[in-house]
Amino acid sequence: MTKSRPIPSCSVGIGLRLPHVTEIAVTRPTIGFLEVHAENYMAETPALDRLLELRRDYPISLHGVALSLGSAEELDRCHLDRFKALIERVEPMRVSEHLAWSAIGGAYLNDLLPLPYTEESLDIFCDHVEEAQEALGRRLLIENPSAYLRYTQSPIPEAEFMAEVARRTGCGIVCDVNNIHVSAWNFGFDPIAYLDNLPIEAIGEIHLAGHHAAEDVDILIDDHGSRVAEPVWELYAAALRRFGPVPTLIEWDANLPALEVLLDEAHHAEELADARRYVDAA
Amino acid sequence: MPADMSMLLELQIRFRRAILDGDTAEIVAAIQGDGLDPAARVGIYRNHAFGTLGDALQSTFPVVCRLVDKRFFAYAAHEYLREHPPHSRCLVEYGADFADFLARFTPCEGLPYLADVARFEWALNIAATVREATPLQAEALAAVPAEQAAYVALRLQPSLSYFASPWPIDTIWQANKEDEVPPIDLASGGTSLEIRRSEEAVAWRRLDQGIFAFRTALADGLVLAAAMAAATLRDPAFDLTSALQQVFAEGLAVAFCISRKREIPR
Repeated sequence: MTKSRPIPSCSVGIGLRLPHVTEIAVTRPTIGFLEVHAENYMAETPALDRLLELRRDYPISLHGVALSLGSAEELDRCHLDRFKALIERVEPMRVSEHLAWSAIGGAYLNDLLPLPYTEESLDIFCDHVEEAQEALGRRLLIENPSAYLRYTQSPIPEAEFMAEVARRTGCGIVCDVNNIHVSAWNFGFDPIAYLDNLPIEAIGEIHLAGHHAAEDVDILIDDHGSRVAEPVWELYAAALRRFGPVPTLIEWDANLPALEVLLDEAHHAEELADARRYVDAA
Repeated sequence: MPADMSMLLELQIRFRRAILDGDTAEIVAAIQGDGLDPAARVGIYRNHAFGTLGDALQSTFPVVCRLVDKRFFAYAAHEYLREHPPHSRCLVEYGADFADFLARFTPCEGLPYLADVARFEWALNIAATVREATPLQAEALAAVPAEQAAYVALRLQPSLSYFASPWPIDTIWQANKEDEVPPIDLASGGTSLEIRRSEEAVAWRRLDQGIFAFRTALADGLVLAAAMAAATLRDPAFDLTSALQQVFAEGLAVAFCISRKREIPR
């Protein structure tokens, strides 16, 4: 085994957030890709110009948070049009959205709200994924949510629901390992079994982020506001064993730390992926 | 609910009511307790929605927030959110009617200038989020026949806002951007402001009465003759030729049309 640091076996990216833009533009750190939330760049702000500049040097993963693919009403065509226009300008390497709903009856609730996993939800969700993929001209990756409640009428396990969406629509999957950990803790299911039910060939990106424990109740809250927790790193290692090296994102949206901290987390993810490679080669 | 209504739609309508109005009665039966009150589980989502949307309003209206303090702002934002949840999924576009809401919001009666500060901050937000279009050159009007010149209507830059207030709004706003707010003379008179994106920065300036009336009329889609009449009412010495030259020199116009109706749709 060589002592020199190998080329990372998987591309690790970080979320691009406004306070870090200047430092990244000046120091040009080695980063596999930059991720941005699509909705933050749909208005003609100076931030869009900065993104288009950075785009020349870094691949972009465009992450939508508000398309509301799970709404039991028509997709917002105006929002889809703006999403498409942004894709044409940014030319991202990947485009992703969520297994969730956020809007109903003209009110946008600004959260990734949980769906009941029923045959009706599956039909509606798949129709919307197909409509969005056609309108955007791109294959979407769909991310598993973190959740704080589940419905009494929700017979399909989430991982099977995800797998069926991928099978029917041809979409890929963002496997958010932190979300699996959070939901598994909140509802007492086995996170490894969840990974085992996701189709290997559909996994296009892995997400890692921080969470915290709620104050009065035994619930974990996904907050993207701290370092990745140790059990989540362990679950990430398990995900790498199952899926192989997959482009991985360090997400951090609240209590933003110094850029250095994000790069340190990204480096740790690379190390885990590389360690995995040596095990595979042995 | 109609009998054939989608189960999912019905659930989502109830969930929306639980989030916006705090009325969880119709949703709790659909949620597993898993060792916790289902209403408390919905509460996690409700707190997140109000918290993040309140933060979005605070970042668009920072001086309004400072004038009323954070706790009162959170309360006002909460009431506004319930009545006016966002339509756009881009949060920088949320809050277009927040100023009108504040003007009607009786707990704010003691701060008569507050709604106008919100109008000013909304105009700054428009300027920050809307790109300037290529300016129209004055020569473009050369081909207009003389007898039609009075009926030219100009379309102005989409980042532009004009607004007048009986209060010195720009002074109040600037003072509240300082760590230590200097004394402000509220009786120092009103302001007539133009707010725009200039190059890549947001800029505003006070306009004199005639120019303000002229540009406001143009922004409202009035033809030159009507805009001139509005300006002359405010300033009998108003000079159309130089006012029009300024409009082009500052790159404010982006298109024109000739209207017989004295107005054009915006």
